[in-house]
Order: sequence, then structure tokens, then C-alpha cells
Amino acid sequence: MKQIALIVACVVAFIGMLMLGGISPIEAAQTLISGSLGSPRAISGSLKETTPLLLAGLGVFFALRAGLFNIGIEGQFLLGGFASALVALAVPGPVGLLLAMVAGVVAGALWALPAGWIRAYRNGHEVITTIMLNSVAIALTDFLVAGPVRAANQTGATTATIPTSGRLPALLNSPPWNVSSGLLLGLLLCAAMAWWMKRRVAGYELQAVGANASAAEFAGINVAKVRMNAMLVSGGIGGLGGAIQTLAFEGRFYQGFSPGYGFDSLGVALLAGSNALLVVPMSLLFGVLSKGGTSLLILGVPKGLTNLVAGLVILISATIRYRKAASDA
Amino acid sequence: MLNTVLLTLSMATPLVLAAMAGYCSERSGVINIGLEGKMLMAACVSALVSVSHGPVLGVLAGILAAVVMSLVHWLATQRFGIDHVISGMSLNAISAGATNFMFTRFSDPDRSGRIGTLPPLFYQACAVIAPVALILYVGKTRGGLWLVASGSDPEKARLAGLQPDRIRLFALVATGLFCGLAGAYLVADTGVFTDNMTAGRGYIALAALILGGWRVGQTALACLAFGFLSSLNLLFQGTQLGGFNLPSEFWTSLPYLATVIALAGFLGKQRTPAGLGKT
Repeated sequence: MKQIALIVACVVAFIGMLMLGGISPIEAAQTLISGSLGSPRAISGSLKETTPLLLAGLGVFFALRAGLFNIGIEGQFLLGGFASALVALAVPGPVGLLLAMVAGVVAGALWALPAGWIRAYRNGHEVITTIMLNSVAIALTDFLVAGPVRAANQTGATTATIPTSGRLPALLNSPPWNVSSGLLLGLLLCAAMAWWMKRRVAGYELQAVGANASAAEFAGINVAKVRMNAMLVSGGIGGLGGAIQTLAFEGRFYQGFSPGYGFDSLGVALLAGSNALLVVPMSLLFGVLSKGGTSLLILGVPKGLTNLVAGLVILISATIRYRKAASDA
Repeated sequence: MLNTVLLTLSMATPLVLAAMAGYCSERSGVINIGLEGKMLMAACVSALVSVSHGPVLGVLAGILAAVVMSLVHWLATQRFGIDHVISGMSLNAISAGATNFMFTRFSDPDRSGRIGTLPPLFYQACAVIAPVALILYVGKTRGGLWLVASGSDPEKARLAGLQPDRIRLFALVATGLFCGLAGAYLVADTGVFTDNMTAGRGYIALAALILGGWRVGQTALACLAFGFLSSLNLLFQGTQLGGFNLPSEFWTSLPYLATVIALAGFLGKQRTPAGLGKT
């Protein structure tokens, strides 16, 4: 009952805000849908937005199942994207492509390492450390890309562009359709994770730690080790997301590489709840919102609106599902 | 020299106010990731209202906005039982979105120049008074004892006849008050509202709180230290330091790195309130 009251309050507040701003909610909804799903080009755009959200969302989801709230996915995504751009520029061709993906995974995992170690062995809250590491990641990549690794012939703070041979190929490229193979990688990873969590002992142990850490400890599970590994894998997946963003879409790394994918992916993972397969529709939802939000800009709706929706969605989904998650500090 | 001191004080003011906000909330047992969002909301509302109704109402409206956000936080954590971190993060997102929306929609495009505000000195005075008042309140009054009790062990506090959720209600109102002042100060200091103008100060304040071991004096000192770092950043931008040209990103990262190291337990033992995040 209370939950329903909250949902109604959120919806009313949101629509009231639109009306107060002089925007018709119906017109806004129509623009949002036609801008994100109305044409092949729009759908391709939505799928492009979905890809990083799917991967980063899987990263957050993995840690969340172990009872860890990896807010640091933004930083891991950035470092992954950055490292893969450097490697892809240094090593040409398909070999470089493969190495670049590995570099992304390693960079993401390394960036999650301090947070995982501090949580597992020093009992410092992972949320605080990852928030701090996000800020450091932004500062670090901003600095490197503006100075040491900046492309000589570019005006902005960016690396050079990776040649086409070193990029992820498109899965489907017949304009107006354009779907990257990065999305397929995300889907495969999602299926693998769902299987691993359901069928493997390690997957069971991970979720046991997430459900009740002290019970898991008594059952003989090495809780600290599971937490440490969960954070590393989560960071690695986040880094892979960044690498795919670089190699499939951007072709380079630059300042402002992530317009908040890390944050939206928290919403994705929270909404997905306990089922890895649900990460797919949820990231699609956020991808559509993100693409549709761009076309709302033309209506004069500020881009902040999508942020607002994300916040409300997280709040609502948390009342239903995450009433106690990640709080057994 | 005087320049550095003044700059440090002006940089530390919003941090001290926000850290005191965090102190009230976390000492009562509510983890507060949402300081950032509350400050941002206060900054936006105070900027909008200052333009239309003058500076005094502007500050009051800013404080009111932050208090309302705090009350939502209280409802979410104490009545709906939502995880403290998740509700704090969602408040931050809602603030970032709503302030962007409100300011682009409701601000007057014809008006340019500074927003009329209360003098920054007023806020700086608040930033001095607030820690002193909190030290006295927590150390000398029964209410202060209740506050710390409900954050240290809500269960035992309940057995002793206290009502932690009510204590947290008052604590979160105080959080809103301080966040409101911090947000309004940002507008008073710069004379404008810009998107995401808090720029992570809420998180730095949280970092100061952790480094200060959830104690008022030490936390305020940590804020001063962070303020000093930012003033150094502004003063030394682009100049050589002993042959090295330290990038400004290095200075911005220092408070964050210091916090990570502190959480790793390398800077003395951790003093997290035992009941933080518990119901």
C-alpha cells in the first residue's frame, strides 16, 4: 500500500513538473517514443545507447548479487575505454582489437581493486571508496587525454582515431539499420552470467554472500575472498563496457567520454533485481529513454529530465525490491 | 599569504556546512550520500527565488528546498525501508535532473549579471558557528546524547525508551538546514547558478567527515585542509613547483585519494558509527 502511494506520488510529481514547465505530457511522450522507436534509424540509435548500459549494468548487477553496490562502474568504464583506446592505437589490426578488449577488462578490474580490497579486508564501505575513485578516474583520464596522450592534430582533448581495421565490426550495417557486434557481446555475456549464477557452485556462493554474509561465513564460504573477486569481475565487466564503447562506437577516447552511463546502469541493475536476464530489457528501457531524451531536446525539454526519470525509477524500484540490499556493513 | 588564507576560508565554507549536515545525519544513523543533491537543489531554488523575491527569501527558500529533500530521504529510509545508499543516490539524480529542468525552464532569459544575495560573510559566520554549536549540543545536552545513541546502536536506544526514527527526523531537518546554507552560499559566492555547480562538494564533505572520524572538530579541520588544497590549486595553476608542473587534476584528486587511504585504515583506526545504516 505504501509502495503504491509512493509510485503515485512520483508520477504525479513528475507530470506536475512537466505541466508547470509548460510541456504537454502527451506530446512529450509521443516525441520520446517516435524519437527512440519510431524509425529504423531511431531504433538503431536506441540500441547503440543500450549497449554500454547493458555491459555496465551487468557489471553493477554482478557486484549487487554479492551484496556490493558498485557505484564505481563509471570510473571503471572510463578507465576501460581509455586503456583500450591506447592499446588499439599502438597495435593495429584484429590482434590489436583483441588486446584492446583485454586491456579494457584489466584496467576496469584494476580500478575496482582498491574498493574490493578495502571492502573485503578492511571493512570500509565500497560505496564511499568507489565514489571517490570515480572522481579520481575522471580527473586522471581528463589529464592524460588533455596532455600526455593527446592527438597532435586535434583541437579538442582526445586521443587519435583508431583505424577501422582495429575496431569492432558492425553486426548489421545496411542504412538506415546499424547494429554493432558490441551488443551481441553484451547479450552473450548476459546469458553466460545467468547460467553461471544458476548452475555453478561459485555463482551460488556469490549469491549466498549477497543474501546473508554471516550465514555464508558459517557455511564455510570465504566471504572476504568472494567479495574481493566479485568487485574485480564487476570492474572488469565495466571496463569491457568502456572498451566496447571505444572500439565499436567512438573510435577514440576523449574528455566527457561517458555522459553518465555508469549512473544509469545502477538503475538498470537495481530494476533487474535477482535475474541476470532481466538486465537486457532494463538496459533497453534506459537506452530508449536516453535516445528519446535527445529528441525531447528539440521540444525544448531540458536534458535533465531523463536524469529525473532515472532517479524516480530507482527510488520506486528500490521500495519494491531493495529494502535491505547492500547494507549489512 | 593573506590571499591564500581568504581563498581557503571561502573554499572551506560550503564544505564545513555540508560536512556538518552530514554529521547530523550520519550520527543519527542515516548514511548520507545525498548531501550533493540537497546542496544542488538548495542552490538552484535559492537562485531562482533570490531573483524574484530578494535575497532573504532566497536563502530561506533554498533551506526549505533542502529540508524537503531531507524529509523525502527520511521517508524513504525510515518509513519505506529503502537502503540508505540507494535512496541517497536517487536523490542526487533527482536533484541533478530537476535543477537542470527548473533552471532552464523558469529562469528569466532577459536578466543577466549577478544574482542579488546575502553577503558571503554571513555564510562564513554560519560555518564558524555551526561546528561550535554542534560540539556544545552533542557534548552538553540530552538531545545530543540521544542523537549519538540512535546512531551508535538504534536497538539499545530503543530499549532505553528512545525513538530513533523520530530523532532521525530532527537530525535530517538539521541536515537540510545546513545543506541549504551550503547551497545558497555557492550562489552567493559566484553570483550565478550553473548546472551541477556543487561539483562533488557533497562527496568531499562526506570524505572530510570520514577523515575526521565522525567528530565535529576534526571534520571541520579536514574541510579546512581540503579548502586549502583547492586554494593551492587555484594559486599554482600553470606555475612550476620545484621543476614539476603539477596538473590541476592532481590537486582535485587529493581529497578523494586521502579518503580512500583513510578507509583502508592507513590513517588510524576507523570510527564509523556502529549503527550507521541500521534500522
